[in-house]
Amino acid sequence: MSLSKPTGARRLGRTPELLVPAVLGAFVLLYFALPFASFLSRTGVEHVAAGVSTPGARVAIRNSLLTAPVTTAIATGFGVPLAYVLARASFPGKRLVEALVLLPLIVPPVVGGAMILTAFGRFTPIGSAAAAVGVSLTDSLVGVVLAQLFVAAPFVIITARAGFGAVDERLEQASRSLGHGPIGTFWNVSVPMARSAIAAGIVLTFVRAIGEFGATMMVAYNPRTMPTEIWVEFVGGGIDAITPIAVALLAVALAVLGVIGRLGRVPTVIEE
Amino acid sequence: MTLELDGLTHRYGGETAVDDVSLGLESGELLALLGPSGCGKTTIVQAIAGHVRPTDGRVLLRGADVTDAPPESRRVGLVFQRSTLYPHMTVGENVAYGLAAREISPDRRDELVAEYLELVGLDDARSASPAALSGGQRRRVELARALAPQPDVLLLDEPLSALDRSLRDRLREEIARVQRETGVTTLFVTHDQRDAMALADRLAVMRDGRIEATGQPRALYDDPPTRFVASFLGRSNALSAAVLGRDPLRVSVCGAEIALPAARVDAAAGTRLVCHVRPEDLEIRPTDADRPGPSVSGEIVDVTDAGRRYDVTVRTATGEELSVERPEPPPAAGRTVSVRLPPEAVTAFRADGE
Repeated sequence: MSLSKPTGARRLGRTPELLVPAVLGAFVLLYFALPFASFLSRTGVEHVAAGVSTPGARVAIRNSLLTAPVTTAIATGFGVPLAYVLARASFPGKRLVEALVLLPLIVPPVVGGAMILTAFGRFTPIGSAAAAVGVSLTDSLVGVVLAQLFVAAPFVIITARAGFGAVDERLEQASRSLGHGPIGTFWNVSVPMARSAIAAGIVLTFVRAIGEFGATMMVAYNPRTMPTEIWVEFVGGGIDAITPIAVALLAVALAVLGVIGRLGRVPTVIEE
Repeated sequence: MTLELDGLTHRYGGETAVDDVSLGLESGELLALLGPSGCGKTTIVQAIAGHVRPTDGRVLLRGADVTDAPPESRRVGLVFQRSTLYPHMTVGENVAYGLAAREISPDRRDELVAEYLELVGLDDARSASPAALSGGQRRRVELARALAPQPDVLLLDEPLSALDRSLRDRLREEIARVQRETGVTTLFVTHDQRDAMALADRLAVMRDGRIEATGQPRALYDDPPTRFVASFLGRSNALSAAVLGRDPLRVSVCGAEIALPAARVDAAAGTRLVCHVRPEDLEIRPTDADRPGPSVSGEIVDVTDAGRRYDVTVRTATGEELSVERPEPPPAAGRTVSVRLPPEAVTAFRADGE
C-alpha cells in the first residue's frame, strides 16, 4: 500500500500547467511573425541596395540618423534627472507631473504634432522669435527633433523612473555617509544601479524617435526622415517602393537595440 | 564628548518617533541603544548620520553642531541591517569608495583598503564581487568600508538582526574585537538584549521614542530602575504585591512575606506594588525541606527542556504563575514544590506604571 501511487497516477494524466497560456501566446507570435516574413520575402539584397541609394532615400536616412540620436540624447539628458526626482521626492502636485509625463503617450502622434504647431508654429510668439534669430521650428530638422521628442521622451522617463525606484535608498544613504555628495552619489550609485532600466528606456525612446511619423508629418513634412519618405514612396509606388528603406529602418533599430542592450549589462567601472 | 544628542525630537506627520532624547558618547565608548522595534532607534541613527532632519533638538559631533550639515560632511560610518555593498564594484572598490571622497593619495588609499580588509580577515577577497561572499563576509566588508575613512562615530543599525544565531554570535565577537582594536566611538542599535548586554560598555534602553534608562548593562540587569527595563532586559516574573509596612518595606507576594530593605519605592501599608524577580534567581525545593527565608508553595504545571536549562512554570496557591530556570532536571509536572524568593533579587515598583 504505497502512498505515492495515487500521486504518480495523477501526474500521468495531468496537462502541463503552461499549455493553455502557451497556445494563446502562440497566436500572438504567429500574428507578429507572419507580416515580417511576408514583407521581407518580397525584397532581395540587390533591390534593397538599389532602393537605399536613391538620392531621396539617402537624404531621408541621413536626416533620421541625425535627428533620432539628438532626440534621444535630449530626452535622456533631461528625462533621466526628472525620472530620479519622481522616484525619490514626494511633493505637492507630484501626481500632476506624473500625468503630464504620460500625456504625450495618450495623445495620438498626429494630434501631438498639431499641438506642437499651436505652441511652436511659425506664427506663434515662440516660433516667430526663433525664426527672427534664424532658427525655424517647423519644416526643419529642429522641427523633426521637436516632434520626435514629444512622442518618444516619455519612454525613457517612465522606464528610468522604475529603475531608480528599485534602487534601495539606503545604498544612496551609505554613499552620502561615505563622503560623496548628492551628485556624486547619483553618478556613482544610482545610475549604475539603474543602468539596465535606463538603457532599456534609451532604446525605447530611440526606436520610437527614429520611427516617428504622425507628429513629424504635421511639424516637419520636409525635410524628409525615413518614415515620411516611406509614406511619400508608398503613395507614389506602392509596397515594393518602400521595402528597401523600411528594411534599412529596421536594421538601424536592431543595431541600436543590440549595442545599448550590451552597454546596459556591462558594469560601469567607477573611476578613482 | 564625541557624540552628543541634545533634546532630539522627530515627528513623522503627527507621529512622534523620537521624543526629547539627550545622550552622550565618550571617545572610544561602545553604547548600545536597546529597544523594541518601532521605538525610534533607527530615526536616531538617521538623524545622527544626517539622513533625517530632526524636528527639534541638536546633534553635536566633537562639539560642533551638525544638525543642519549634509551627511557627506559628517564623519559618521554607517552599517545597516541589510547589506548596502555596491554590487557593481569589487570588495576592494567598495572599501575604497569612502576614501575616494577624501583627499587621500592613491597609494595611501591602497594601503588603507588592504589594512581594513585585513582587520576583518578578508584581505584575500579584495577583487571578489560582493555577490560571491557569504552573509557574514558581507557584514565584515561593510564594517571595513565604514571604518576605512576613519569616522568619528560608527553607527551600527541592527547589524546582526538578519543573521542566524551561530553566525550572529561569531560576528558579535568580531565587532567587539574590531571596535577594541580601532577604538572607534560606536553606537550599536539593537532590539536584542543579548547582543546589547554582550557588547555594550553602556546601555541606553528606549521605549516609545524616549530613553527609559541608561547605565552599565549589569547594573541595569540586576537592579532595573523601571518595570519596562526589568521586563525588556532579560526574562522577568512580574508579581503583584501589597505593602504590609514600611522602614524597612515589607510586602506580601504570592502569600509570602518579604522584607525589602533596599527598595527604592516607599509606600504606605495597603498600597499595591509590582515585584519583579528573574527566573534564574528563583529556586525550587521540596516542600518538606528546611526553608530559611521567604518561599511560596505551588504546583509545577509545565516543564520545558531548553537545552542548557529547564524552564519550569509553577502555579502558586494565589493563582500566579512563576517562571523558574533550573540547570538540573526538576520534579515532574503536577508535583507540589516550594519556591524560594531571595529578597535581594526582588525589585519593587509602583503598580501604576513606573
